[in-house]
Amino acid sequence: MTEPTAAPARARSKLAFVGWLVLAALAVIPPLVASPLDLTKLSRLIVLVLAVLGVNLLTGYTGLISLGHGVFVGIGAFAMANFIDQGLSLYIAGLLATIFTGIVGVILGLPALRVRGLYLALITFGLALAFPPFARRLGKLTGGVTGRNVANDAFVPPAFLGLDDHVHIWRYASCLVVVALWFWLARNFVNSRVGRAMRTIRDNEPAAAAFGINIAKTKATVLAVSAAMTGTAGALQALLNPYVSHGDFDAFLSLRLYAAAVLGGLGTLIGAIFGVLALIIVPAVNGAIGLVDNEAVVFGAGLVLITFVAPGGLASLLRRRNGNTSAS
Amino acid sequence: MDLFLQRCFDGMFNGAIYASLALAIVMIYRSTGLLNFAQGEMAMMSGYIALVLLSAPGATGIGFSLRGTGWAEQWVPFHPWPTAIAILGAVVFGALLGAVIQRFIMRPLDGSDSTMSMVNVTIGLLIMLNGLTLWIWGPFARSFPSPFPSGKDDYLPVLGARLRYTTLGVWAVLFVVIAILGLLGHYTKTGLAFRAITSNRESASLVGVNTSRTLMIGWAAAAGIGALAASLVGGAIVLEPLTMMKMLIYALAAATIGGLDSPLGAIVGGLIVGLAQALAPGYLGIPTELTLLPPLGAMVLALVLRPHGLFGTVPVNRV
Repeated sequence: MTEPTAAPARARSKLAFVGWLVLAALAVIPPLVASPLDLTKLSRLIVLVLAVLGVNLLTGYTGLISLGHGVFVGIGAFAMANFIDQGLSLYIAGLLATIFTGIVGVILGLPALRVRGLYLALITFGLALAFPPFARRLGKLTGGVTGRNVANDAFVPPAFLGLDDHVHIWRYASCLVVVALWFWLARNFVNSRVGRAMRTIRDNEPAAAAFGINIAKTKATVLAVSAAMTGTAGALQALLNPYVSHGDFDAFLSLRLYAAAVLGGLGTLIGAIFGVLALIIVPAVNGAIGLVDNEAVVFGAGLVLITFVAPGGLASLLRRRNGNTSAS
Repeated sequence: MDLFLQRCFDGMFNGAIYASLALAIVMIYRSTGLLNFAQGEMAMMSGYIALVLLSAPGATGIGFSLRGTGWAEQWVPFHPWPTAIAILGAVVFGALLGAVIQRFIMRPLDGSDSTMSMVNVTIGLLIMLNGLTLWIWGPFARSFPSPFPSGKDDYLPVLGARLRYTTLGVWAVLFVVIAILGLLGHYTKTGLAFRAITSNRESASLVGVNTSRTLMIGWAAAAGIGALAASLVGGAIVLEPLTMMKMLIYALAAATIGGLDSPLGAIVGGLIVGLAQALAPGYLGIPTELTLLPPLGAMVLALVLRPHGLFGTVPVNRV
């Protein structure tokens, strides 16, 4: 990641601001045209952006390859279901689920403080495979073999809004607000002191240590934030889908999240959005031209292809190249 | 005692399969520093090819063909093949697949020298090959005939426990493979070149070793071994699109425990993982479906405490 000089930086940030504004304007359209079912599907995809952003923060910004973020989605979802059972309001439950997933993320990620590169990819992949059978054994907490319902009766518009007939719009908007909030937090995070430390670690860990960066602390912080936002994604997913089961969080979810992060563009915030767009567009294009009766094939091929064509992901295709590209 | 021995024997069968797949992973890691996450899926496709080659048309149980087109019956001479020959066919297919992947995907990436792009590509291949297998053969579990006598009474009684012929068979095959690899490595020019690349790739290419060609052969050999592993699961494990995903993690655990750059480590690691998987439910009270946890825990422990594994070389970090 090259730091642009001041003037282009200002121009770019202005451009980025306009870009985000356009995105916000686009977000108003779906509730006007989409059916409730489509809107729910869209909400789910928007929530997925958060999980992809979590992967991106860890893999794209810090260089820690995570093939196991589906686990955090699962933990967030199961935590949400159980916190709601305790009679907590949705806001408190969501917050607790987020914090809980962040803490679990740090604990599970402890080996990440010691191992790097391929080895970390290995461990996280193992976690992704081990999570579903583990969750299946947790009895009432996770609903065991069959899964469990999530009490989302409270996930409706407050009475004074008069939106009672448009529950889906309320849910869509809530998801959007939460995701936007996390994006804002993530933007500030990657531009903070820790954010710069993250990128230094990614680019050269021994050098980062030599600069006096506390590697373990930085990695633990990123892990916590990344897991927490992915946990939020899981919590929202559980609310939208009011049913969670261990089978929803298998290794392929983790792999898809990773693939989406790479396809979208590692090391850029907008990459997470492009990644999820790819998750939508790839099956759609595939369905339209009837190429293969299995979208995973196209998706995997896309992942291989993007490494050759645009290692910086889809985001890098749109960005003007200024000498140094920031492929990570 | 009988029970303990019996469990050990059971674990040894899986151990041999894990060891073979781990051996394939180690071969590629040694020569290129790349962890091939797609190794399991490449092996699985080959396993399905073996099934296509050996299943008689219309036979129940394993009877199936390429998407029911009758393609295999029509085009493959002498179809259906006997089990052992079909497995050889699968190994050839696997080797070709490995060579093609190395030639057209891995070789162009050679210069980039980035861990992440390597991971991206192998993960992409994993997703793609898994989807392809699912698309072609569907999500059904297929039982796979063993090339060794696998009937009810085909065992060797050892101290009251049953050492099945299939277990003996897979270990025999594994040792033959290792012997062949050793002979090839020490008595052929390509083998010498491969060892040179393993020890130092740059120096090897400087003294005139054709690294691309040698690596392609190395990939072919590794994928062939993987194919053999997938074809030998017969009798104990059913083949379904998720089988090799689990196998892969066991094999990765085996390779890590043994040391990612040590073939001996892969064999020992495979045995350890197989035994741990067989013994843990009985003696540690770990439920059967959670047998993934002991090998996984061992892998994490190995990586944290001894990243180079039991037999691997200690890496030197140059800044």
